[in-house]
Formats: sequence, structure tokens, C-alpha cells
Amino acid sequence: MNLLDFARGPALHWSLIICTAGIFWRLIGTLLIPPRIKLSVPRRTDTWLLGLRAIETRSWPLEEFHNIIRFQHYSGYVWHISFFIVLFFFQPHILFFKSLTGLSWPGLSNNIILITGAIAAGTLLVLLVRRLTHPVLRKISNADDYISWLVTMLPLITGLIAFAHVGGRYETMLALHILSVEVLLLWFPFGKLMHTVLVFPSRFQTGASFGRRGVRA
Amino acid sequence: MSINQASFEEFRQRIKQLGQTVQPVEGLTDDERVKRAKQVFLTRIHSAMAVDMESCIHCGMCAEACHFYAQTKDPKYTPILKVDLLRRVYRRELGPQRWLYRLFTHDITAQELEEWQELVYDSCTECGRCSMICPMGINVSAMINVVRQGVAEAGFMPDELRAVEKEQKEHGTTFGVGPEQLTAALEKLAQSGIDIPINKDKADVMLLISGYGVNITEDALLATVKIMNHVGVSWTIRTDGYECAHFGMLSGREQTLRASTLRVINTAIACGAKTVVTAECGYGYTALRWEGARRYGKLLPFEVLAISEFMGRQLKAGKLRLKKMKKKSVTFHDPCKVGRIGGVLEEPRALLNALGMDFREMADPPQTNWCCGGGSGVFLINRATPLRQKAFESKRSAVVNTGADTVVVACDSCRMTFEIGKANAHWDMPIESLVVMVGESLAD
Repeated sequence: MNLLDFARGPALHWSLIICTAGIFWRLIGTLLIPPRIKLSVPRRTDTWLLGLRAIETRSWPLEEFHNIIRFQHYSGYVWHISFFIVLFFFQPHILFFKSLTGLSWPGLSNNIILITGAIAAGTLLVLLVRRLTHPVLRKISNADDYISWLVTMLPLITGLIAFAHVGGRYETMLALHILSVEVLLLWFPFGKLMHTVLVFPSRFQTGASFGRRGVRA
Repeated sequence: MSINQASFEEFRQRIKQLGQTVQPVEGLTDDERVKRAKQVFLTRIHSAMAVDMESCIHCGMCAEACHFYAQTKDPKYTPILKVDLLRRVYRRELGPQRWLYRLFTHDITAQELEEWQELVYDSCTECGRCSMICPMGINVSAMINVVRQGVAEAGFMPDELRAVEKEQKEHGTTFGVGPEQLTAALEKLAQSGIDIPINKDKADVMLLISGYGVNITEDALLATVKIMNHVGVSWTIRTDGYECAHFGMLSGREQTLRASTLRVINTAIACGAKTVVTAECGYGYTALRWEGARRYGKLLPFEVLAISEFMGRQLKAGKLRLKKMKKKSVTFHDPCKVGRIGGVLEEPRALLNALGMDFREMADPPQTNWCCGGGSGVFLINRATPLRQKAFESKRSAVVNTGADTVVVACDSCRMTFEIGKANAHWDMPIESLVVMVGESLAD
């Protein structure tokens, strides 16, 4: 078994299993902690709706906060959108997803993917520099922030290298790219990348909790 | 009408001496302090809080919403950092990945608990503004309150708060206002010909007031009494359960909070109250309206209304009839615990409009209004005065930018924070109480 076979075979298999199991373990372990029962009379009872609404409204800063968090907000969007375009619209990625799920969709041209990938990597780099230099971010950052940054950056870098056919044999570079994705999958349930999943219950419960008191959140 | 300056000055001097009335907490070893704090943390964490602690992405946006950070730019005031001890205990002892975190993180220490005293008391009013900016929707202020409880249990509560909390725990009073002092104050008001139904056996509405109301905001007490009589409800003040302020809540002592809450609840039940109205007191409202039922163990058999909410409802029902006041431009400061945390946002504005005011909203809408910087007992902590004064600048700027001639408040501690901040900043701005304005404008 060569490196590429290993990356496409058992490494992929186990990283997906560990990632999925880890997500469920963390979610269930968190949600199984006893809830706080609210006995007060709610001002509003449509808390489900208010919780769902918060999932949407927290995607945009309130107007009064817009100016003070403009950079974090837009850089976040640039990063996430560019990352997801590369992940879901690069033709080889679509073929990979098809092999896993049987589903496929139209992709984008290689040039667009290349530019988008460079934007994603560049944005991530800027965000790292900001984390290292901004007093607040430096103060609140821990190992998770830097590990999560690294395991997210690696697939982008190895992907761009494999795409450009530089740095060694294509098969080796492709194997390294797939392995870097697997490292990301392995880290996913343990660090802050879990916000991809946790963003929904977190926003929901705050929207519902503030909402039952009659406050838009 | 502005606050009685003589009483206010006397109260300020009293605050300065407050910390000297209690003995330092001694006899606790570091291990005991840590054990006590952790016990509190682990019993207060619930699933929603756990989700919040798991969700933080360390984006730092919460700092931008905090008046203590906004005015100092000191990163240690970042709200999410203030819950770090709680989060560490959660991750090491309760979270689903505790086996992992135990390998890479150290346990909290007594030194850290002492260090956190400044972060959760002096530099946080639990105003909840940080929760409004968080892209993950994390309720940071609720967690900070739990850290307060742990730090308090470890013996690191600021002396001033410990003094008032101790008084309320041992005597059921705040600032020396017991049943005798309350009765004397009410009888003094009654001498001007106002009917005050004290200790009625049965009443539909029971009014709560705070020690401040007797000591320095007698004008608000008088206005409230007039309003109650004006709207024609059957009401009472009971000397066996009148205290609105809950220093157990803001200091972080659950036993004291439970006792003060249950005293009021049991008194209200005894007199058959259908409604309990809290005075202009932020924590008083939250403690009873949103947290009271939990302490009681079931649904409260009466409704709880903030005085501004009560007046708003009576206005809407046509029972509160107001004369237009001489028109002036005013802005309104929402008390965080009544507004953003409590949900009473519309009624004060309706009242000001009914009074014929030229009402000017601050740039930030009601639910994200800047805190005055003195809530949660911060205005009582003497060493926090310079920092609080800086934080107050966020509020002062917001008020100044409206161009209003007067700022109206609806919480005694906000009122005092404004008065202290105004004096320190040599700011010539009238500060008025909403209930006093309404009380002075009752139609015949």
C-alpha cells in the first residue's frame, strides 16, 4: 500500500469515523448536562420561533455594532465563503463527494478555484497575523486557536501545491493533501472547529432565552 | 425633581466607610477556597451554559461591546476572559472531553480566584451587552454571575458588597432600613395627608421598595405612593416583606438571595397579592420576575411588574391619567436588568411620550443601550471608582449625543451612578427618575 492508497483508504475511513463519533460524543456529552428549568411566566411563548430567528439574525451584526466589528465580520465571511467554494465546487472534490454519497453538482473552472483558494489562504493568514498582534485576541487565544488555524491552512496549502503540480510527484502531493484533510477531520471534534455544529444550538438557545423575556436577540 | 443632594452626599460618605464594617475572611486555606469555588461552579453549570462554553471561537467581539474595555482598551476586560475559571473547571471536570483537558490544563488556584475578583466585580456590571454582539449568541453575563458566586464562596467578595450582603443575610435589611425605619419614613410621608396603606391583611397589589428608597430616593417613594393611590388599586406595603434589593444576587451568595426572595414571596402570598410591583430597582425586578419562581420551586401565584411596567400598563388601561409636563428634551437610560435582561423596554417610552416630552432616543437602541457602569453593586465598590468613572464615559457620550436637556432613569442604582459620575465629571446634566416625573404629573 503506497501513501496515496493509505490516504484514500484506511486513513480516510478512520478519520471520518473518529470525526463523526467525536462530534456526537461532544454534542451529546454537552447536551446531557441537566438543563436549567425555567419556571417564570414567559413574556413570549413562541420561543422556538425566536430561537430559530436568532440563528439567522446573529449572522449579521446589529446595526449599532456594525462599525466596531466590521473587519471581523467581513473577513469572517470572506474566509468562510471562499473556503466553501473551494471545498464544494472544485471538480475533483465533487468527484470525491460523489464517490462517498452518490451526489454530484456542477463545479467551477480551475482558474476561479485557484483564485478563490488563494483568497481563502490569504484571508486565513491575515486572520492569524491579527490574532498574533491584536491585544484582545492575543490575550484570549490558546493552543486550540493555533492548532485549528494550522489544520485548516494545511489542506489549502497542500491543495494549492498539488493543483500547481509543484513540490514533488503529483501522487505524493495529492496524498499529503488528503492526509492534511484527515488531520483536520481528526481535530474537528476536539477544538473550536466544532463551532460549525455548535453555532446552531448556541444561537438558538440565546434567541429563545432572551425572546421569552421579550428581548430581541 | 433632582435627588436630595444632602441625603445623597451623606450616602456617598456612608459608601466610603462600608468596607470597614466587615472583617476580612480568614481561616480558609487555599485548597478550601478552590474547593468551595469549584463546588459552586459545578452545581451552577447547566446544559445551555455548557453549550455556550463549548461554542466560543475566541473572536474577541465581546470586548467591543463592553464599556470597561471600550474606555480602557485593556484586554483583560474582555468579557469572555472573565469566565475563564468557570470554563476551565467545566472543561476539566464536567465537559465531555474532560479526560483530554486534564492532560493539558491546570486546575484553578486560590490566587486566580483572588485575581478574578477585579474582573467579575469591579469591571463587570453583568449588563449583558456582550451577549448581544456575540456571533455565536453566547450569554456571557450569565456565566460571569456564576464566576461571581464562586469567587464569593472562596471568600474574595469585595468588602463593600460583603457588608451589605451580610446585613441582608443576618437582618433582612439593606443600608440599615428595617421595619421601624420604613414605618417611620412612611408615617413621615403620611403626615402630608397622603394615605399609605401599611400592613394591610389583604391587597391586590403589594409594593416593594429598597433601602435606597428610604435613605436617599424618598422622592421616588413618595411618587410611587401617589401613583398607587391615583390608579385606585387595592395596595399595600408590608413591613414583613418589602425589600426589593437582593444583595445575595449581585454579590453572588445564593443562600442570601433565596432567603430574601422567599421572604417577599411568602409575604405576597400571605396578603393575597395578585401583583407585586418592584420599585425602581434593576436587580429587584430580575430576581423576582425571572428568578423568583426557581427559588420558590414552582410558578409564582402572582404577577411581578417593574414600577415602569406597572405604570405603562395603567396608562394603557386609562387608569393612569397624566398632565403634560412643561416640554423639555429628554433621553431615557434603560436599566440593564429591567431593559435588556428584563424585557421592559416600551413602557418607559410610552410614559415619557404621555408626559409630552421631546423624547430623544440614544444612538444605540434600547436593547443595546450602554450600561451606566454602576450596576450589580459596582457603584458601591470604592476601589472601582476610577475605572467605573471611565466606563461611565460611554454612557455620558451617548446621552450628550442626543442633545437632550435631561436624562431620565428608572433604577435607583443607575440614578446614583449617574449622580456620582456627573459630580466626578463636573457634568451639568439634570438626572430625573421616571417614577418621580410621573408622580408629579398626575391629573386630578
